[in-house]
Amino acid sequence: MTRYFLRRLLALIPVAIGVATLTFAMIHLVPGDPIIAMLGETAAPSDIAEMRHRLGLDRPLGEQYLGFVGGLAKGDLGESISYRRSVASLIAERFPATLELTVAGILVGLLIAFPLGIISGTRPGGAGDIGAMGFAILGISIPHIYLGPLLMILFSLDLRWLPLTGRGGFSHLILPAVTLGTALAAIIARMLRQSLIVVRESDYMRTARGKGLSPMEAMVRHGLRNAMTPVVTLIGLQAGALLTGALITEVIFSWPGIGRLLISAISARDYPLVQGCVLTFALTYVVVNMATDLAYAMIDPRVRLD
Amino acid sequence: MRRFALNPSLTAGATVVAIVILMAAIGPLIAHADPFAINLSNSLAVPSLAHPFGCDVLGRDVLARVMSGARLSLGVALSVVAFSLIAGSLIGGTAGLLGGWIDETVMRAVDIVLAFPGILLAIALAAILGPGIVDLIIALTAMGWTTYARLVRGEVLSLREREYVHAAETLGARPARVLLRHLLPAMAGPVAVQATFGVGGIVAAEAALSFLGLGALPPTPSWGNMLDAGRAFLLVAPNLTMAPGIAIGVAILGFNLLGDGLAQLAGTRS
Amino acid sequence: MGRGQGAAAAIAICAAFIFGCGRTPNHPAGYIQVDIETSPTSTDPRFATDAISSWVSELVFDSLVKVDRNGQFVGDLAGSIERPNDTTIIFRLKPGVRFSDGRELTSRDVKFTYDSILDPASMSLKRAGFAELKSIEAPDDSTIVMSTAHPFAPAMEMATQEIVPDGTPPPLYNEAPAPPGTGAFKMVRYARDDSAWLDRNPYRPVQADALLGIVFKIVPDPTVRALELAEGVCDVSENNIEAYVLPYLGAQPNVVVNESPGTRYQYLMLNFRNPQLRDVSVRRAIAYAIDRDAIANSFLRGTARVASGMLAPENWAYDGNVTKYSYDPAKARQLLDDAGYHAGADGMRDLTFIYKTTPEGARLAEVMQAMLRHVGIRVEIRSNEFATFYSDLQNGNFDLASSRWIGINDPYQYYLVFDSKMTPPRGINRGAYANAEMDALVEDGDRTIDPAKRRAIYARVQELAAQDLPYISLWWLQNVAVLNRDVTGFDPYPNGSLRSLATLKLIGPAGSEASQ
Repeated sequence: MTRYFLRRLLALIPVAIGVATLTFAMIHLVPGDPIIAMLGETAAPSDIAEMRHRLGLDRPLGEQYLGFVGGLAKGDLGESISYRRSVASLIAERFPATLELTVAGILVGLLIAFPLGIISGTRPGGAGDIGAMGFAILGISIPHIYLGPLLMILFSLDLRWLPLTGRGGFSHLILPAVTLGTALAAIIARMLRQSLIVVRESDYMRTARGKGLSPMEAMVRHGLRNAMTPVVTLIGLQAGALLTGALITEVIFSWPGIGRLLISAISARDYPLVQGCVLTFALTYVVVNMATDLAYAMIDPRVRLD
Repeated sequence: MRRFALNPSLTAGATVVAIVILMAAIGPLIAHADPFAINLSNSLAVPSLAHPFGCDVLGRDVLARVMSGARLSLGVALSVVAFSLIAGSLIGGTAGLLGGWIDETVMRAVDIVLAFPGILLAIALAAILGPGIVDLIIALTAMGWTTYARLVRGEVLSLREREYVHAAETLGARPARVLLRHLLPAMAGPVAVQATFGVGGIVAAEAALSFLGLGALPPTPSWGNMLDAGRAFLLVAPNLTMAPGIAIGVAILGFNLLGDGLAQLAGTRS
Repeated sequence: MGRGQGAAAAIAICAAFIFGCGRTPNHPAGYIQVDIETSPTSTDPRFATDAISSWVSELVFDSLVKVDRNGQFVGDLAGSIERPNDTTIIFRLKPGVRFSDGRELTSRDVKFTYDSILDPASMSLKRAGFAELKSIEAPDDSTIVMSTAHPFAPAMEMATQEIVPDGTPPPLYNEAPAPPGTGAFKMVRYARDDSAWLDRNPYRPVQADALLGIVFKIVPDPTVRALELAEGVCDVSENNIEAYVLPYLGAQPNVVVNESPGTRYQYLMLNFRNPQLRDVSVRRAIAYAIDRDAIANSFLRGTARVASGMLAPENWAYDGNVTKYSYDPAKARQLLDDAGYHAGADGMRDLTFIYKTTPEGARLAEVMQAMLRHVGIRVEIRSNEFATFYSDLQNGNFDLASSRWIGINDPYQYYLVFDSKMTPPRGINRGAYANAEMDALVEDGDRTIDPAKRRAIYARVQELAAQDLPYISLWWLQNVAVLNRDVTGFDPYPNGSLRSLATLKLIGPAGSEASQ
């Protein structure tokens, strides 16, 4: 097991370096000059040169790259041009907000998925199934950029139950979490349905009946137990969609997380900050993937022999 | 025909997709209004017979713009899927065929591209290339080729081992040609399903990028940038959000249903 | 307790928790909330040049002189002002003025403030504005002597710099609260991108029922600002509510919309590096092709006055007797035909311009594009984030662009924008306009101290600008303040200043019943 873990960890490194290099290469091809935006039009050329020197942008590209990778190893992501603070500190500041939103989104997803999945799976073909699966396919199809404003119109502007944007108390988390979690809910619900149907037609049923459980109880208990692993791995597989979904949701709801930081950094041509945010997302994703693989390996020994 | 009756997803999906394609193809031609025609006196006009979904802040008819957006979304999605398919197949097929370090390099490249979650790579690329439709297509293709590369590579690898390839080789046929002859029919099913979901996914991705200001920019109507523009008017003109929102939801729904239906047809589970 | 009751109780508690909070203003009684669109770029008045920074600084700091609502300079920290000659101004400070930390104001603080801005190491954006300042001396504790190298009419403008205490270091990040000032308020807390809290300056005399403090809340989303006003969470918001939301807000029972003439000037900038734009017929054709009234009445919903020039009627040097351009597309086409730019079969001429804009300005860009297309001119819109837009203007990388000037006070501005030597980075003549007559006039205007003579010079400048069209004037935006009915005494300033918040009063319990 440890050998598998170490092997995976080792495989992580070239990918991480590749991601970092690709990010660095992309960012330094960006047009537009952040220094002039920072210092204003009437800044003297000497001031501009001074700032450029301070930020290390006048060094040759190769040297900048080495400095970048070196800093990365130490956890130094450079300094943000627009905030004049270390990128790492900005990201550390906003990361909890993104984490909060993502976790809330997953929880909402599970909260919605389970009742739907159970209704569908226990009585396939019934009215509940059709309704739930109809909802599910809608949930997958409606993009965040519509669902968010739709929920805003309904719950914030018409009913005035919930705040419109921003992060604050619990009430501020609801709409963003629902926006983020609905697509996940739909996918999990569909999978749960599948699981339960499989159980229904399997030997478990007979065994459970033999034990004296009612058909419904048997189905739910075994079906759900069977479904646990796939649910966890499904969430892992959806990590990519969740991360970018969180990014978009943050922009919609003005949620102060890393996604929104990235988008405003792009507007501001803040090279170091864009780099830092993209890297954070990519590396988080890579780590989550590895964690999912490890979880899967722990459950299914066959994977380790791969 | 019976296949359609037993496969409601296929039927519903195909119908919706057909409507969307129809709207994209001929909608802008028969539209009652020009999506680009600015008419300031109609600024934020409420929905009426003349303007079923009202007008935006510059007096442009919303319904006309939504139909124009269909053309853009589909155009972009089909282009991206086509390019991804071609590029991915070529790269993946070559990798599978030639093996060795070429295969290794390609697979590392795929890993690195896939290390970027969701549309993050497209966002970063679009941020560099700047907004615009062509750059959007490039950015999305740069992300999308990996799926087809893997698919084709997998098929090529498995087919290589099959006996008839060896048999054909001994008979003097070149391995590449043999593979092609056997590859295409084998791939048709999975690729069709993948491509259908792909189109739906690209429609969503294009809208997201345009929403973030990294894709199609006004005055070009895109469902994504219409949703972005509509945010400022949620309080006084929610129709500006509802119209493109419903359109994009329906379009993606159609492709998802169609994909589901095709998957059932092909016997594979999505 | 049975499971059902427990669940019901849990749900009830959650519901109360969720729906109960989030709508109340979270500031104590006697305070008001003012919503602003973005954070001030700096809370230190030595470093910021944007409007929002100055609206906030004005409440915390004072300067030697201030500009009153008629554009006249009046002494603020200065009790008396003398001009012994054309290059010297002597200010004598009022006695007994204290900073909000109790220290008494002396001339040392004034000299320090100016010196720190002029210090190249500080890289202050304001340094360029003091190019004409030769020296600033403090011969004694209550006297300041300001000297310019040459006679400089707008020298008083340099005395509107807000004063910080002696020894205040430059801000390390833009995240610290403002240093102590002598103004009506002191900034006690600052969370960038969230809010700035201002309490009364204890060392300033104040009326009994005046405000205890102000909370500036940064709310980038326009819909949220409108909602907060409608719900009474926000008490005052000026010039950041879109015109088409005003009818909705006006209909709310607790809100009043206060519209007053403003001096914010919106214009179309032309790049004279493009030979086609150097042709005055082309510029005039563009001016005739734009239907400014239609724009002002449609999505600006009447909150703009069509402008004849950079100076608004409220400015002392304003001259409205200049060439004006009505909406006349036929005339525009005629001018273009006469200038040799004939229309092809599709109605379009061999004239294509690149219009640079930010996403916020894209709406106007599209309207311009449509209007110019109507007379056969093609416009390509390039929308870029502010940073790129800004550097494009700096590098002359545009044909057309639209922007605003806020708070123009002294017609010295004409020198900065129209003198041929003042292209960036020296000045803000972004379009590289070069006209010898204009140069002579604006340079003369700076050197002429006598107001009547200056007035005559700038009357000529305004007519020349209207004829030669380095800018195409669009409109002067009205000041639109949306207020909660619980506040009285709000006095709008033509440049959008929020200075009158210092004397605002609360009637009724704004903030008191809702606060925890």
